Amino acid sequence: MRTFLLTVALLISATAFAQVPSVTVENAKGEAFNTKSLLDEGTPMIVSFWSTSCKPCIRELDAVYDALPDWLDEVKFRVVAVSTDDSRLLAKAKSFAEGRGWGEEYTLLFDKNQDFMRAMNVSVVPHVFVIDGKGKIVYSHTSYVPGNELELFEAIKKCAK
Amino acid sequence: MKKIILSAGLILAAASLSAQEKGYLTGSFETTDHAYVADEANRFVPADDRFGSNNYLKLDYYNGNFSAGLQMEGYYPALIGYPGELNKYALSNFYANWKDDDFQVTVGTFYDQFGSGLLFRSWEDRLLGLNNAVMGARFAYNWEDKVSFKALWGMPRLGMEISDTQVRGADLSVSLSNIIGLDNIILSVEGSVLNRYEKIGIDAEEAGGSPNSIGYSGRLNFDWNGLFLKGEYVDLGKKLVALTPKRGNAQLVELGYNGRGLGVTLTGRRLEWMTQQISSKSVSSANLISYVPAMSTQYTYMLTTLHPYNPQLGDEMSYMFNSGEMGGQLDAFYNFRRGTALGGKRGMKVHANFSTYYTLAQEGSYKPGNLLFRDLSVDIEKQWTKEFKMVFLYSMQEYNPTYGSYKTTYLSNIFVADLLYKWTPTFSTRLELQYLTTKEDKKDWMAALLEVNFAPHWSVWASDMYNHGSSKMHYYNAGVSFTKGRTRLAAGYGRYKDGFICSGGVCRQIPQYTGANFSITTSF
Repeated sequence: MRTFLLTVALLISATAFAQVPSVTVENAKGEAFNTKSLLDEGTPMIVSFWSTSCKPCIRELDAVYDALPDWLDEVKFRVVAVSTDDSRLLAKAKSFAEGRGWGEEYTLLFDKNQDFMRAMNVSVVPHVFVIDGKGKIVYSHTSYVPGNELELFEAIKKCAK
Repeated sequence: MKKIILSAGLILAAASLSAQEKGYLTGSFETTDHAYVADEANRFVPADDRFGSNNYLKLDYYNGNFSAGLQMEGYYPALIGYPGELNKYALSNFYANWKDDDFQVTVGTFYDQFGSGLLFRSWEDRLLGLNNAVMGARFAYNWEDKVSFKALWGMPRLGMEISDTQVRGADLSVSLSNIIGLDNIILSVEGSVLNRYEKIGIDAEEAGGSPNSIGYSGRLNFDWNGLFLKGEYVDLGKKLVALTPKRGNAQLVELGYNGRGLGVTLTGRRLEWMTQQISSKSVSSANLISYVPAMSTQYTYMLTTLHPYNPQLGDEMSYMFNSGEMGGQLDAFYNFRRGTALGGKRGMKVHANFSTYYTLAQEGSYKPGNLLFRDLSVDIEKQWTKEFKMVFLYSMQEYNPTYGSYKTTYLSNIFVADLLYKWTPTFSTRLELQYLTTKEDKKDWMAALLEVNFAPHWSVWASDMYNHGSSKMHYYNAGVSFTKGRTRLAAGYGRYKDGFICSGGVCRQIPQYTGANFSITTSF
């Protein structure tokens, strides 16, 4: 226990802001994708963790999808939807996202053993992050009720300033 | 062992701290607490202390290519229905990891998966009380986007302890399309091997058992303009079931198309003697080292989850052998776009699923035996106006109450309407109305749920599930949640039915109970 507390104290003393860790996930075609490369374009982004059995997650991504044309008129950003479905639902998650038209607007990632989810310390979905062009997490939120997407938009507008 | 890895992690952490760059610390905390109340109608008598409390604290430190972390868990005692070996406190997981574009080395506990997980998967699912992280070491290497290789060794965690069972495995994935340089086509071949070692008793040895078993899998992954094919063959090697040698094997095929607002997937799978445990001595529901989930729709509405499908992996049952199952499912998603005849002004989303599974007619056969489970479902989602959205779901479920021992099945028809109305941009209500009709089992059920949401922070709900066809029992539940940023607090009170909690297609059995619950989830 003492070793543990010492380590935590040591680590906190050297803490900078949280960023996007480097984790290997899959893209929509089943190829390996390193999450670090999300930062390559240097644009702000919304990263949303979802799963096919999570109704609020789907409502949130749909709400963002519906508002997207208007939002993009004001700010340049992109949306990354990370499915946390296990391999059992992996194929279904891909078909599901396609059936909702997300594939055309979102960057779809598939985190079938929840490695990215764990690395970002997401314990329950929905969980959404707003990340600025430099990779710094500026906003995050867990759970969703209709109307939460407005906060998301405010956060992404701040990033662009 | 623990100490060595912990010290190694600390040294690496210290070394990285002395580097120029500053790292960062992130973590999460979760507590779920129950207070149980005696409820005669629900046939529930709580244990003497009347409480249950599951607690998790996770910390991770990142600095450039280096990361290290730990997880602590405490059960005072575990919530009702959780695996019995979860008890008291443990520093259950800790690791140090180094990863650049090509290499990754991890020491300590790690999670990993080969292919779909049929041969090997270590993962965490707190809803199931499952964490079979492997304590040991792992090495991974990628040669550009052409070849990736990983090798691992260690001992899986079972409950609060690291088990004595050892696993050694390797996985290789070769992208032929990237090596040849094909555009628009993805073609890869993959293979894995897993050795499992566990000391066995003298009777098992005399019956021809061995402490070592070697399993392997071969996989194919193809995609061309949205058309895809995936295949996997798994051989678990020889093992003893009730002192009789058996050979575990599985075949999985996924075929489909994704594009132009359409998503279709056809899945076929056959399993035979696919139970693979960490320890042959434990009967825990978390005693798993591979992932063999139910390949059917995972529902969330109350009445659709009364009898979730539990796959038959092949095992000795109380009075017979059930060597496995075979079956498949077809999933189709379609988006009627805005402005089309059916889509209307705001579009319409349609999904249909058909799943059907049978026992194997006889060992080693590719012929179906008794029906285990069948489900035909359709759901339609329509945004009628800017304010009003409706989901309608119909599901016809048929399940075998004797897990295939007899032909008898129970059939039920389930209807769900889910109505969401946004009164203002931040105030909304959601109403679920559900009905289940069946001539068998407990006859008809009805259920309703009302949720009132005040964005951005508050949500209040109340529900009731009523078995008016037979037992006349009400299973009620009410609660409130408050969310701010990454923190969510929820409290509720309810009467719960016995049944199964399923997550990711894996289920654990829970007894009936009544009581209050409270939870905090946060991360930083």
